[in-house]
Amino acid sequence: MNTTARAPAVQVRPKSSGGMTYMRRYWTLYLLLALPLAYFFIFKYLPIANILVAFKQYNITKTVWQMQWAKNNGWEFFIKAFSNRDFRYAVRNTIMLNMLDLVAGFPAPILLALLLNELPYRKFKRVTQTVAYMPHFLSWIIISQLALQLFAPTNGLVNMALRGAGFNTIPFLNESWHWVATYVFLGIWQSVGWNTIIYLAAITGINPELYEAASVDGAGRFRKIFHVTLPGLKPTIVVLLILSLGRILGSDFDRPYALTNKIVNDVSNVIATFVYTSGIKSMQFSLATAVGLFQSVVCVIFLVAANTIAERMGERGLM
Amino acid sequence: MRKYLALLLAAMMMASLFSFAAMAETADSALLAEAGLEIGSDGAYRFTETRKITVEIFDRGLDNGKTPAHDNLWTQWIHDSVLEKHNIEVEFQPVDRWSEDTQINNLLAAGDAPDVCVTYSYPAIQQYANMGGVVDLAEYVDKYAAVLPNLWGWLGDYNVNYDRDPFTGTLWALEAKLAVNTRIGTFVRKDWLEKLGLDEPTSIEEYEDMLRAFRDNAELLLGADADKMVPFSTSYDVGWRTDHLAAAFIPDAMTDKDQFVYGFDDRHIMYPNYKEAIRKLNEWYNEGLIWQDFALYGDGDTTEDNMIKAGYVGSLIHSWDQPYRDGDNGYTGNLHTMVGPEADWVSVTTFKNDAGLYRKFLSQPIDRKVFLPGTNDEPLASLLYIDFISDAENIMFLQLGEEGKTHRVLENGAYQNISGQEGSDPEWIQNSLNNIDYTITINGLNLPIESIAAGYAGVDPALVVKAYEASLKDGRVAKKVATGEIVSEAGMASPLKEKRDVMLDNAIIAKPEDFDSVWDAAWADYLASGAQDIINERLAAWESIYGEATMLP
Repeated sequence: MNTTARAPAVQVRPKSSGGMTYMRRYWTLYLLLALPLAYFFIFKYLPIANILVAFKQYNITKTVWQMQWAKNNGWEFFIKAFSNRDFRYAVRNTIMLNMLDLVAGFPAPILLALLLNELPYRKFKRVTQTVAYMPHFLSWIIISQLALQLFAPTNGLVNMALRGAGFNTIPFLNESWHWVATYVFLGIWQSVGWNTIIYLAAITGINPELYEAASVDGAGRFRKIFHVTLPGLKPTIVVLLILSLGRILGSDFDRPYALTNKIVNDVSNVIATFVYTSGIKSMQFSLATAVGLFQSVVCVIFLVAANTIAERMGERGLM
Repeated sequence: MRKYLALLLAAMMMASLFSFAAMAETADSALLAEAGLEIGSDGAYRFTETRKITVEIFDRGLDNGKTPAHDNLWTQWIHDSVLEKHNIEVEFQPVDRWSEDTQINNLLAAGDAPDVCVTYSYPAIQQYANMGGVVDLAEYVDKYAAVLPNLWGWLGDYNVNYDRDPFTGTLWALEAKLAVNTRIGTFVRKDWLEKLGLDEPTSIEEYEDMLRAFRDNAELLLGADADKMVPFSTSYDVGWRTDHLAAAFIPDAMTDKDQFVYGFDDRHIMYPNYKEAIRKLNEWYNEGLIWQDFALYGDGDTTEDNMIKAGYVGSLIHSWDQPYRDGDNGYTGNLHTMVGPEADWVSVTTFKNDAGLYRKFLSQPIDRKVFLPGTNDEPLASLLYIDFISDAENIMFLQLGEEGKTHRVLENGAYQNISGQEGSDPEWIQNSLNNIDYTITINGLNLPIESIAAGYAGVDPALVVKAYEASLKDGRVAKKVATGEIVSEAGMASPLKEKRDVMLDNAIIAKPEDFDSVWDAAWADYLASGAQDIINERLAAWESIYGEATMLP
């Protein structure tokens, strides 16, 4: 009854009020959207104006528009950063640690996903998967304490065991290059299980008929992995790779900050920790903003470049 | 009644000591009217209308039966007394003690800072002052001097005007008094000395021999735990933890000028010849005399504390009363339970400089800095609050409380603080030793050492007295150099501190043959990263004020 009664009413409305009808019908959905939009506007777009702090003399009592311009046409703090040896080291270390993370850490979840996928016992697979992603929920502060308990040169469990067995101890945390290896290893340990989830999900999305067809054609386990599973995962891998490349100059703060110590400062000081000690802790907010801005710009360049390359190679990119 | 009488007598003694109080004259009525003040029936300056202020309070957490820092019997007493005396309503705002500099920074940046702020970081105040975010106290303390007799009387000209800029006349903060100017102590395990038949070391050579004896007799001293032996313990903060040793390497002829010019770093690493002290530590490290993992553990980590408490450590340099703090939870308390009642830490006087003196570099008698942020719209009420908290009688009450509740009077006349211990009133527990967090214009107990020593629970007072005397012996107190702001220091404290620790730690663990190259490279980097600019500016500032002179009067 209702629908028949309403239908003509809609029809007699002039065309120009179509938007009105549309809004009348869907306004609740837009209302729902309003909150997230407001969130993005207030917390992500409005603060963009504060990027100007990088070019101005920061002053707590003034708004960003009233602050004085920095010297050298506003580039004072960029010049200050780039003439600082610690900053150059921080950039180098950030790129180095992220590259190593990428090389060693990116394939790890793919491998684990493939391994898990081949497991015939569902229960065992479930348990392994759960155990593997548990470290993801540990904060880096906790992991760093675990690392000290395990890897410290004299009091660490691993080194005590090595000494007990008559081997030399390994300076996991107190020699720069060993520390880098420990850093990368702990990164993989913490994130591999979690990152596997997305690949496992992608694997479930692969058409089972492809596997059946491959079996009929006489493909074995490895053939199926190489010719069915991996090609099926390719779009996911590419998207995640692009995102990882976009973060090549980005840096976690808590991971290097928690794991570092005074001895390995030459390789552990990254941009985020530099911003903290030289910028925020010293109330050099302009310097901190300048460095942050530089970091963001480089990240965007990397992201766009990686995306373009992926598209050239015939993959669907992000944009 | 007797206890009140004793307290009153003590308070009167204090008051007479600080006879500045006598200089207070009555303020003229025009000034009072303008400020909205009247003279109350008790002779105190009262606001005619109630004013409201907030006051920062250090918060040390709630361990061991402590009460909320901003709401307890003591804060209630302060609140009621200030309201009654000055008609000011005080509200306390707790700030974590151990990250106070970061927290106050955040509060200032957010415009939420309390009306009366306390911090140890003068550079933070200076930086906000440069941005117009701090009240200039110069005018207030001068104009209202008569209204603030206790503030002037207690702090005196030295502390009130310490931060007054000689060129611009601005005054951003008041410096609290430092009652006890002790800083560092060198400690040795007394029971180990006795076991090995050694005397207390009186020279670096004897000290080294002692460390080697500890190392070589680990089986005897630690039995099954022999492999845990640490003859000398230090932390990543090498500057603090080798202070006495380092001071012995600084030439005694160092001038006041050099002390100022190279005085930016509070661990004194820029003083001449400091490198040689670190070379000594490098030797010890490579000889296996120093805890090998010291540099791996950061601020607030308890690994080293636990080793000391378990009794594995033979000697250390630390804060002058560190081994005696914290009763049962402290170094000595734990040693007594885990090793035995005979185990103790004794302070030694060991490190002699080139003039044969046991030199220590002591701070000036200033402590926390009290300031009013720009958001404060009750500066006079805030200063009256500081005046109240600087009243000798009030300080005495806050530090000692009442007999039987917070203190005991011993046979030798010393006051023994018993807060938090058996026989004290748990409601009267002091959240900080002698309530120093409430007495913001003084740090430490302003009483003879016997009373201070009696306050360390479970520790032989004679050991504390010995540590106290050793910490002050041949001390050279820094002199005030009024230069105004050194601009190149702005923002450098944190990065240079970080660099300093990295440099010292890496120099100690270097191979002996690499020591010079490691040190020289790090030192060049330290200078290039801002230290040289600071040295140059300090030098220019000194020469512009004192000319050719190298010593201060």
